[in-house]
Amino acid sequence: MKTNQPGDNDEALRKVLREWHTDASLPPRFQEEVWRRIERAQAPVALSAWAVMIHWIGVVLPRPALAASYVAVLLAIGVTVGWAQARQETARVKDELGQRYVRVLDPYQAPRR
Amino acid sequence: MKRGFVILSLGLLAAALGYCCVYVTATSSARSLQKSDQPELAWLKQEFNLSDAEFKRVSELHAAYLPKCHEMCRQIDTQNAQLQKLLADTTNVTPEIDTALAETARLRSECQRMMLRHFFQVSQTMPSEQGRRYLSWVTRKAFLPDYGMNEQP
Repeated sequence: MKTNQPGDNDEALRKVLREWHTDASLPPRFQEEVWRRIERAQAPVALSAWAVMIHWIGVVLPRPALAASYVAVLLAIGVTVGWAQARQETARVKDELGQRYVRVLDPYQAPRR
Repeated sequence: MKRGFVILSLGLLAAALGYCCVYVTATSSARSLQKSDQPELAWLKQEFNLSDAEFKRVSELHAAYLPKCHEMCRQIDTQNAQLQKLLADTTNVTPEIDTALAETARLRSECQRMMLRHFFQVSQTMPSEQGRRYLSWVTRKAFLPDYGMNEQP
C-alpha cells in the first residue's frame, strides 16, 4: 500500500493549499450529503430474483455434473407425476365402468330413454 | 448463457417426455376398456380375470337379461306415473293409492329377485373365488341404500 510521506512533492501542494482562499459558501448539510453519497456508493447491490436466475442459468447450470443432475431430476419428476396421474385416471375409469355395469342391470338405476 | 438455456429446455423437455410416455402407457388398458363395444362387460372381464369362454357365457347371460330389464323399466315407469297421478288428485290415502303402493312394492321385489337371479347365474360362470368376490361386490352396489357407490370392487 502506498503511503503519503511528507516529501518534496507534497510540500508544493501544501503550500498552494495554505495560500488558497475561497469566499464561496458550502451548500447546507454539505458534509452530511457527501458521507451519504459515499455510503450509497459502497452499499452492496441487491440482486433481483430474475438476475439471480439468469446468473444461475448462465454460469452454474452449464457445469456438466449439475446439468446432468438437473435433467435427471426433471425426468424423474415427469415420470412420477405421469405415473401418479395415470394411476388415478385408471382407477376413475374402472370405478365408472363398474358403476355403469350395475346401472345397466338395475332397473331402478338404469338410465331412462 | 446460450448453453444454460439449452440445458434448461432439455430438462423441461425430459420432464414432459417422461410424463407423456408413462401416462400414455399406464392408461392404455383403461383407454382400451373405454373403446370396446361394451365397456362395462370389458371391465368385468378384466376386473374378475375371466377367460374367453367365461366371458362369452357372461356376455350371453347379459344379453339375455337386458330385454327383461328393459321390460321391468317400462313397468316401473308406468307404475310410477300412475302413482303420481293418483297422488296429485287426492289429499288422503285412498284404496286406489294403497293398491298402487302395493303394486310398486311388488314390482320392486320382482325386480330385485330378477337381478339377484342374474347375479347368481353370472357368479356361477366365474371361478369360485372370483364368483364370490363378484357377488359380494355387485350385491353391495345393487342392494345397499347408497348402492355401495363408495365401495371398491
